[in-house]
Amino acid sequence: MRCVVKLSAVLFVCAFAVSQLQAQTPRNVRVNYKQTTLKNGLRVITVEDHDAPVIAIAVNYNVGSRDEREGRTGFAHLFEHMMFKGSENIGTGEHFVLVFNNGGNMNGTTSEDRTVYFEALPSNQLDLALFLEADRMRSLAITKDNLDNQRNAVQEERRLGVDNQPYGQSEEVQQGLLYDNFAYKHTVIGSMEDLNAATVDDVAQFFKTYYAPNNAVVTLVGDFNTKDAIARIKKNFESIPRQPNPPAVDMTEPEQKAERRATVDDVLARSARFDLAFKAVPGNTNDFYALQVLSNVLQGGQSSRLYQKLVKEKEQVTGVFGTMDEKRGPGALYVQATVKPGVKVADVEANIYQEIERLKKEPIADWELLKAKNSARRAFINNLQNSLSRAINLSQYAIYYNDPGLINTRLDKVNAVTKEDVQRVANQYLRETNRTVVITMPKAKAKGAAPANGQ
Amino acid sequence: MNMRNIHQLKRCAVAVVFAFFASGLCLAQGPTTGPVGQSTKGAVIKGKAPVNKKLLKVNLPKAEEATLPNGLRVVVLPSHKVPTFNMQMVVLSGGLADSADYRGLASFTAGLLRDGTTKRSSKEVAEQIDALGGTLASFAGLSSVTSTVSTSGLIENLDQTLDIFSDVVRNPIFPAGEVEKYKARTLAQQQFQRSSPQFLAQEQFNRAVYGDHPAALLTPPAASIKRLTSKDLTTFHSTYYRPNNAILSIVGDLTLKEVLPKIEKAFGDWQRAGVPTTTIPPVPAPTTSHILLVDRPGSVQTVLQLGNLGIERNNPDYFPLLLADRILGGGPAARLFMNLREDKGYTYGAYSNFGGTKFRGTWTSSAEVRTNVTEGAMKEFMYELKRLRDDKVSVEELENAKRAIVGGFALSLESPQTLLQNIVVQKIYDLPADYWDTFPQKVAAITVDDVQRVAQKYIDLDHLQIVAVGDASKTRDILAKYGTVEVFDAEGKPVSGGQ
Repeated sequence: MRCVVKLSAVLFVCAFAVSQLQAQTPRNVRVNYKQTTLKNGLRVITVEDHDAPVIAIAVNYNVGSRDEREGRTGFAHLFEHMMFKGSENIGTGEHFVLVFNNGGNMNGTTSEDRTVYFEALPSNQLDLALFLEADRMRSLAITKDNLDNQRNAVQEERRLGVDNQPYGQSEEVQQGLLYDNFAYKHTVIGSMEDLNAATVDDVAQFFKTYYAPNNAVVTLVGDFNTKDAIARIKKNFESIPRQPNPPAVDMTEPEQKAERRATVDDVLARSARFDLAFKAVPGNTNDFYALQVLSNVLQGGQSSRLYQKLVKEKEQVTGVFGTMDEKRGPGALYVQATVKPGVKVADVEANIYQEIERLKKEPIADWELLKAKNSARRAFINNLQNSLSRAINLSQYAIYYNDPGLINTRLDKVNAVTKEDVQRVANQYLRETNRTVVITMPKAKAKGAAPANGQ
Repeated sequence: MNMRNIHQLKRCAVAVVFAFFASGLCLAQGPTTGPVGQSTKGAVIKGKAPVNKKLLKVNLPKAEEATLPNGLRVVVLPSHKVPTFNMQMVVLSGGLADSADYRGLASFTAGLLRDGTTKRSSKEVAEQIDALGGTLASFAGLSSVTSTVSTSGLIENLDQTLDIFSDVVRNPIFPAGEVEKYKARTLAQQQFQRSSPQFLAQEQFNRAVYGDHPAALLTPPAASIKRLTSKDLTTFHSTYYRPNNAILSIVGDLTLKEVLPKIEKAFGDWQRAGVPTTTIPPVPAPTTSHILLVDRPGSVQTVLQLGNLGIERNNPDYFPLLLADRILGGGPAARLFMNLREDKGYTYGAYSNFGGTKFRGTWTSSAEVRTNVTEGAMKEFMYELKRLRDDKVSVEELENAKRAIVGGFALSLESPQTLLQNIVVQKIYDLPADYWDTFPQKVAAITVDDVQRVAQKYIDLDHLQIVAVGDASKTRDILAKYGTVEVFDAEGKPVSGGQ
């Protein structure tokens, strides 16, 4: 039995960061984590926290769609689905039953750069969580039936998210145009053709190469005793054999020399959409944080320059959004605008470029810098509220940057960004020759004609 | 959807998409029988994993409450984990307060609330709240019982955020220029929404179930948008946005004692006034079963949605229905997901959902399936709906569902926003004061007979509504096996000769 009480300076201590920007001193949130490496190379991160009777585990594998080879796009994600189809001691589908029917929550997700599996459970189910993760890392059930079943589920996921949705193809076209290196040139979901081509042998080989303990990070956060938990982790995971390290991925991108542009005719779309991307830098670099601040000023919230100009002043779009994407390799700054019927896309495009030019010529305002930093701070610390998101963040920083401590230093890096930095990165990356433009136009469709994709 | 979400969606493919939280708060000792025993297709239970048979008993935090002299009820749930706060003004009038010829007024009022006050322009509101790192949003549905204005931010910026928040809640002026922009934007967005197959399915389903009831509407009628004026908004606001008709709920790194003087300063001189009682329109009795097919050229999937009317939120059948729904389609461990995805591979996910407010909600089952398995998917949906009616669920399956719901209370402790929302629900629907304290016992008391009784009552096959959105040329004949098919276009208009 537990009460929700404010607990333990050991786990969450109140530190003080001096910020010139605020009248009051903001309280920082610090995550005290412990790192251990098992004999088989498995990295383990633990955070003991007794605030709630919950444990959260994240197992993050150093593999994503960037590791795929040509002809096998979508495979890393298809493989992720196989991880829920059983192992030596867990039946197919039993994972779902065991987690949900004991009051837990779970999922798995694949990106270009990593694949992470996670569960949150009441803290008396710690052994269950460790067993589930260790059993599939050790002994995945690789069968043709399981593969065919999940191939179908994943192809429906593709239809749901891409082929049956307006603008579904636009992202694929954009990624293909934006990147030269195959690693990021294709999407995580992959093509129907390549999903069809995946074999049981591919699954077995991928499992052996990438799902090895020395290629993973296990993060455990919550209501346990650290010493006891580490002993249990060792018992479950340490005998899983190490494998040779997977090949390193070449992430280099040649410099872009000219604007790239494509138009997509979309039978499912009803409004034109303008998609813009500028290739930039990997995450957790000085320029990345400066571009994040820039993106917030340009397109974060209703006060942003693009919202005020395009939605409110010119009334040319129904929405404009964007982000600076965080990647292990070169990420990109994206802008996306949904154009109102009757408005010329070229006019929207010209107005966006005008705002970008202003970022290059003039420093941003004080309040805009403050907005970017405060927004980043609120979003980041809110995300530390529950054990599961702390576990996922720590594991991600460990996999991406070999630095779980980034969870405690990241806001300092955002706070270090100056107005001069923002102006400098605007000039450095938001150049005409470095941009990729995709315009999606609604296309009338003759009734009964074959769909463009996916059947 | 903002682009961050789009990007997460686009760039990260996930194994199962769904999020739900146990809606309970307090938890007693539950059943000690094991979870093994699964009567669904698609799962093989080896029973070798170490499961702790005990349900954790958790104590839930109590909210702190106060009422200002002007009638504003204040509910505070301290949560000191991170130095932030969330605040919501729940106005106890929403879309149901709209007149029959002006549906949408509550929604427009909420939508335009931040676009100009007696003290700040729309742009100043946006700049000031964003500079603080805060969020500000307001919403009312077309058939909602409430209108809500919410804000969140960093605790060190509480005073400044509260100043903007109270200004927006109390002093909106709905400038004519902003109203015109809003109207044009809303009409354009309505075009955009019609490109979503899920929107089209929901639109037809609600029409079939609700007829003339306001819950039939998914978007405000164009006629309402066109007649909208600043004066109408001002009238709606001054009529319903009153302290004696609202609950202010706050969760975050604060206590009632700390925050109450600030609330008094921000809202103490807000004038109370008599608020007209909202008459809840009765939901029409179901007439007949419909099969509604929306022809969406270019579709490679069929969106299927099947269901009936459900219950009001305070109906005693809530508890047996909660368990029946959980067993049918309440997540990846439930029958629909196991059958249609894990066994058949027809879909990325199949789920059921139920909900209700002050009028009867719906109980629906849905999935998106590739066009050429529409027939098989319909067969499995009908099989699962009939099975829940005709056969009692096993004791093991019921106990598993109870464990899932009651066990989830532990996780809800890490989501104080959810806990506070539950407390607000208890107040909005006049549920008993001990509602959440006794929730686990009420769940535990449900029997397999209770589950069958509500399945037979609410899965009413004679009045089942079936909606499909997809390629009509390939699915019409399949659906015709279940009855007369009515075909619509993506504008929501009947297609002549569609049968």
